[in-house]
Amino acid sequence: MFAYNLKLAFKSLNDRPSLTILMVAAIAVGLGLFMTMLTLSHQAGKIPMPHISKQIHLVQLDNREVTADEAENFNQMVDLTYQDTQNLLKLPSSGVEQTLAWNTNGILNVEEQEIQPQRSSVVATNQAFFTMFEVPFLYGKGWDSDADQFSQAVIVLSKKSNDYLFGGINSVGKQVRLNTHVLTVIGVLDDWFLARKFYDRSYYQAWPDQAFIPSNFAFDSDLPRNARFDCWSTTTNPGKFRTNYLTELKTSECAWITFWAKLPNHNLEDYKTQLGQYIDSQKRLGRFPRENQYFLTNINDQLEVISKMIGREQMLGVISYMFFAVCLINAVSILLAKFMRRTKEVSLRRALGAKKRTILQQHLIEVVFIGIIGGLFGILFSYIGLQAMLRVSLYASDYVRTAADLMPYHQMDWEMIMMAFTVSVSCTLLVGLYPIWRICNVSPASQLKAQ
Amino acid sequence: MEIKPIFLSIKHNKAIAMLVIIQVAITLTVLSGSLLLTTSTLKEWNLPSGIPHYNIISAVPEFYDLEVDVRQSLIDDLARIKAIPEVINVSPATQRPFDAQGIQTIYLEASDEAQEYETNIFTGDANLPEVLQLSLIEGRFFREDEIVVGQRDELPAMPPIVMISEAMAKVLFPDNNALGQTIWLEKGAAPAEIIGIYSNFMNGENLNYFGQSYRTILQPLVTWQNRADPSYLIRVEDGMADGLLETIRNQLYKVDGRYVNRVEVLTRTQKRMYDGRGSHAIMLLVISSVLLLITAFGMAGLVSFLVTQRQKQIGTRRALGAKKWDVVRYFMLENGVLTTIGIVIGLVLSIAFAFVLTEDSGVNILDMSYIFATAFFIILVNQLAVYLPAKKAANVAPAIVTRSA
Repeated sequence: MFAYNLKLAFKSLNDRPSLTILMVAAIAVGLGLFMTMLTLSHQAGKIPMPHISKQIHLVQLDNREVTADEAENFNQMVDLTYQDTQNLLKLPSSGVEQTLAWNTNGILNVEEQEIQPQRSSVVATNQAFFTMFEVPFLYGKGWDSDADQFSQAVIVLSKKSNDYLFGGINSVGKQVRLNTHVLTVIGVLDDWFLARKFYDRSYYQAWPDQAFIPSNFAFDSDLPRNARFDCWSTTTNPGKFRTNYLTELKTSECAWITFWAKLPNHNLEDYKTQLGQYIDSQKRLGRFPRENQYFLTNINDQLEVISKMIGREQMLGVISYMFFAVCLINAVSILLAKFMRRTKEVSLRRALGAKKRTILQQHLIEVVFIGIIGGLFGILFSYIGLQAMLRVSLYASDYVRTAADLMPYHQMDWEMIMMAFTVSVSCTLLVGLYPIWRICNVSPASQLKAQ
Repeated sequence: MEIKPIFLSIKHNKAIAMLVIIQVAITLTVLSGSLLLTTSTLKEWNLPSGIPHYNIISAVPEFYDLEVDVRQSLIDDLARIKAIPEVINVSPATQRPFDAQGIQTIYLEASDEAQEYETNIFTGDANLPEVLQLSLIEGRFFREDEIVVGQRDELPAMPPIVMISEAMAKVLFPDNNALGQTIWLEKGAAPAEIIGIYSNFMNGENLNYFGQSYRTILQPLVTWQNRADPSYLIRVEDGMADGLLETIRNQLYKVDGRYVNRVEVLTRTQKRMYDGRGSHAIMLLVISSVLLLITAFGMAGLVSFLVTQRQKQIGTRRALGAKKWDVVRYFMLENGVLTTIGIVIGLVLSIAFAFVLTEDSGVNILDMSYIFATAFFIILVNQLAVYLPAKKAANVAPAIVTRSA
C-alpha cells in the first residue's frame, strides 16, 4: 500500500508541475531568508572560548565617588584604575591567573623600504594573556614575567601582520618598529578566531588586533591610550589622558583598564574574599568612598547583557519571520486548492474500501516530500543569502574588513542545516494539516452522485 | 450584480478565502514596514556634493617619527604634488568633505549665554576654494598673505578672518547680510570677520544626520600637532583621479618616518559616508520585492487553478450569454473583495508594526501615505495576477458545458 501511495503522491506532484514548483519555491525562498537571519544570529550569539568562558571573569571595582549612579550590571560599572591593576596583580592569590588589557595603536614598520608601514591596532597586556585565553601560536610564544617586570621591547604579531611584514616566515628574533620604537618579535599568532573580541570589551566581530606588547613597555613609550576614561567629576576633560599626562593618570581615580581573572569554581570564593579585603585596605587609605562593591562577570553573563542591546538584526529577524509566514500561507493555499480538487477521486477510493489511514498516508507523503525539497532549496537559498550578507558587510565596512575574517559569521554549520530541514518539514506539515484533515474527512461516495 | 454569488462562492471556499486574506494582510505589513524603514534610512541620502568630488583626491599622511620637521615637509610635499602634470591645484587641509570629524560650535556674541550654532570648520591655504571649485557668492576669497601657518600650540594668533557657506550664512544671519559680520569660533577667543560667502558643499555624516549638510566655515589656517598632521586635498584633471593615487602615495613616501594612511578619490569618501545606511536600505528593498513577487505568483497560481476548476460554470455562464469580460470581471471582483478585507486588516497591523519600530529606533517613521501607497500597489499587483489567468479562462468555448465530465 505504501508503494502505491508513494506512486499516487508523485503522480499528484507531477500533475500540475508549475503549481508544485510554485509551492516549493515559496517554501524555499521563505526558508532561505529565515535561515539566513537565524544563522547570522546563531553565529553572532556564539560565545568565545566556550570551554573556559565561564571561568574568565571581568574584574571591576567600584572606586567611584559617592554621588555616582547605582550600577545594575557590569555594563554600567567602571573598569579599573592603573593603581588597582598593579595592586591586584600583586595579590598573593596562588593559582589565579590575572591579566589586564588596553588598546593602543601605532605604525608597524620594518627596515626594508619596499614594505610600506602599516597602521595597526595593538593590545597592551601582560604575559598571562596568552596562557589564560589559550592563544594559539604559529611561531615562538608569549613573553615571560621578566618582560613585564622590566618592560622589555618585545612584541607578538598576529599571523596577518607577520604575513605582511615578513612574508609569513618565522620572524621570531627579528626586529620590527612600532612608530620609532624598536621591538623584537617573540611570537607569531596562528589564526585566532574569537566569536566576539571580548578582552577589550568591544565585543566586535571580525576586527582582530594586529599586535600585542607588554603594558609596561607601552607606558614607558607613552603610546596613545585608546580608552574611555571614567573619572571623578573633579577631573576636567578626561580625554586629555589619551596622549598626555601619563603620570597624573597613573595616580588618578580614572578607571579605564579592563582586568581579567581566570577563576575555576574552587577559586571563586577565595578571590571574592580577597577583593573585599583589598577594597577594605584601600578604604583605610581614603579611597573607595562607596560601599564595598565589586563586579565579577564571566563571559557568558557579559554576552547575555550585551546581546540585548543589539537591535537592528532583531528588526530584520522579525521581518524574516513574517516573510516566512507569508510564503507558507502562499504554499498552503495552493495545496488546499489542489487537495480539494481531488475530493471526487478520494471519495471514490473511500467507497471502494480505502481506509482513512491510507488517504492520510498518501497526502502526508506528498506534503513531507514538498517539505524536504523546499528544505533542500531553502538551504541553497540561505547559502546565497549568507553570501549576499557577507558582501553587504564588506561593502558597508568599505572593504576594511576581510572576507576571511567575516566568513565564520556567515557560515551554516551542521546544526543549522539540520535546523533548516526540521523547520521546513515541520512547518509544511503544520500548515498542511488543515488541507489533509479536509481531504481525509471526505465521506465515501459523497461526491459521486453529483454528476 | 455579482456581489451575491461572490459571497456565496467565498462562503463555499472559506478556507482559501481566509488564507488569501491573511496573506494580503501580512504582505502589506511587511512591505509597508520595510518601506517605512527604507525611507527613514535613506533620508538625507546621496545629496548633491556641491564639488567635483570625482576629480578631487584626498591624502592623509601622518608622521610616526615625531622628530621630523613638519613645516619643511609640508613645503616639500606641496612642491612634489604640484610638480605632477595632471594636478591642477592642491591645498593642505584638516577636514575633508564627506568626512568632517566631530561637530564644532560657533557663537554670534562673546557672552556666556550666547546661542550655539553647529558647524564644521575646514582649514586650508589660499588654494582651498580653487581645489574644491567653490564659487564666490559675495565678498572675496583669502589672500596668500592671510594664511596662518604653524604648530597649533605655537601659533601667535588665530586668523582674524573666515569665509562661510551660503547655508551657514542663512542660519547665522537670516535677515541681514552676513558679509562683514563677526563670529566667535571659540568662547573667549578673539572674533573673526566674515570676508566672503561661497557656494555650499557637503560636510559629513555628523551634521548631515541632523539635516545640516551644508554648514561649513573656511579658515585660512595650516596647522599641525603631534600625530595630527595636515592632510592634502588635490584637484586633478578630469578623469585622471584614479590613475594618480599611486603616484601621489609614492611622492608622499619620499619623506621618511611617515605613514600614508589613505589616498583616495573623494567619490570613495562619499560612498563611505552613505554606505552603512545604503546597504541596509538595499537589503530591505530586495527582501520586499522578493516578497511581492512570491505573493503575486502565488496569487496567480491559485487563481489559475481555481479558474480551471470552474471551467464548467464558466462555460455555462458563457452559454447563457455572458460576455468574456463579464467572466473576467467576476474573478477580479471576487479577488478584489478578498484583497480589500486583507488590506483593512493589514492597515491595522502595519500601523502597529510601525509603532513598534518607532519605539525601537527612537525615530518616528510612521507615514500613512507610504502605507496607503503600498496597499494600493498590492491591490494592483493582485488584480493583475488575477486578470491574466481569468482572461485565459474566459476563452472557454460556451459549448464545453455540453460535454460530459
